[in-house]
Amino acid sequence: MPKIRVQVDPDLCIGAASCVTIAPETFQMNDENKAWVLDHGEEPGGSTYERWLEVTEDEMENIILGAQSCPTLAIFIFDEEGTQLFPDV
Amino acid sequence: MRYLIIGGGIAGMTAGEALRKSDAKAEITIVDEEQHPLYSRVLLGHYLKGKVPRERVFLKQEDWYHQHTIEWLPGTIAEHLDVKNKFVRLSNGREYPYDKLLIATGTAPRPLDVDLRGVSYLRTIDDADHLLQLLSEQKKGARMGIYGSGFIACEYLELFRELGLPITLAFRGDRFWSRALLPEAGELVNKVLVEGGVELHTHSNLQDLVGEKELKGFVIEEGTQEVSILGVGIGVVPDFTWLADAGVEIGKGIKTDEFLQTNVPDVFAAGDVAEFKDVVLGRQLVIMNWQNAMSQGRHVAKVMSGEQVPFELVSSYSINVFGLEAIFLGDVEVSEADEVYVVGSLESGGITQVFERNKRVVGGVLLNRNRDRILITKAIKNKQSFSELEFVTD
Repeated sequence: MPKIRVQVDPDLCIGAASCVTIAPETFQMNDENKAWVLDHGEEPGGSTYERWLEVTEDEMENIILGAQSCPTLAIFIFDEEGTQLFPDV
Repeated sequence: MRYLIIGGGIAGMTAGEALRKSDAKAEITIVDEEQHPLYSRVLLGHYLKGKVPRERVFLKQEDWYHQHTIEWLPGTIAEHLDVKNKFVRLSNGREYPYDKLLIATGTAPRPLDVDLRGVSYLRTIDDADHLLQLLSEQKKGARMGIYGSGFIACEYLELFRELGLPITLAFRGDRFWSRALLPEAGELVNKVLVEGGVELHTHSNLQDLVGEKELKGFVIEEGTQEVSILGVGIGVVPDFTWLADAGVEIGKGIKTDEFLQTNVPDVFAAGDVAEFKDVVLGRQLVIMNWQNAMSQGRHVAKVMSGEQVPFELVSSYSINVFGLEAIFLGDVEVSEADEVYVVGSLESGGITQVFERNKRVVGGVLLNRNRDRILITKAIKNKQSFSELEFVTD
């Protein structure tokens, strides 16, 4: 299973919640109207804007779709080697 | 299969990209009024504030279209639709035939009747560049004007505040988002702005601009307001002139069914321009936000390639202005609701309005009450009534 690092930049996040609509298992809005990153709906180790996730190919595709849907490109996704998968650089 | 997409914004482009993914051989043409490859209009605010560099605003590079064998026609608009012979005549003089046509032309800012250098609109990256140019010419402490009471006015408010510039704000009614907010919620927004140092003029109609070539001020009932830039956000207008005689049904937008199909075979609409039958909210409406446009673009591609599934989304949008967090969920038109319930109060600094129709929640406006978001989103999806909801009180 691919391992990815998902990171939300709270400075860029405007709370549009598109990511939550597409990938609710991975993103959830907090009280500051910013998106926390979840691990399959859970928050092991507490709430955070950044975490490593072990996901299936389908899940990964959906998380990338969630990131793509963000109007402010506030979501960054990296693979195990640290290569940025999204946004394209 | 020959797909013709009129409009290269997020709805049209998302559709084009999805169509390419599902059919490697299809011919896809995107007719784009803009000269730039796809970028995020929502990021323009961040770009103006210097939070992201200009190149980060772009979602696609110019060579992307070519790499994906999508014919991209920048700087081009549609001028005439012939539904009988199934072609569109474009501003480049050519006639483009289609098997399936998508209309995703969006809208343009409603302009003032008057113009001077110093008047700013905010829709495109060119508008943003123009505004940056105007700002760079300002003397220290120059006063900024804003005319309007919607999302665009908020963008200007946030930008001018970030730059530490004094602001004069005028609008016609007594409150922001007058179709969505009740008086008390409107009062909360006004209070936040006035406490933030904004000189606020409600019930004000812009009567004229002052200045020879360069803007010096604008005139409202209370007199001349001296400003050197005026940000205008008084709504948007779609352009349907090229659809005249085509027989496409038009109301507030281009009318579609729940599959985003218009009344004309093989003609579809998506994004800000579509007045679609929303099966979640149970009425025909236009939703103008990024999330809706992107989701409809993705969805309409499915329908265009033969998958007959209804579009379903509880749309949301939010904006932060002077520290006030405003969240809009679902259907937030007061005139379309049977009841609008208010939770919270002006005194507590947080107000949530819950919109109910046929005894079920269809929308919510949350001002400084982010915590109600999940509750209301779920209520809309699950067709609950307001009386079933349990709010957290202060």
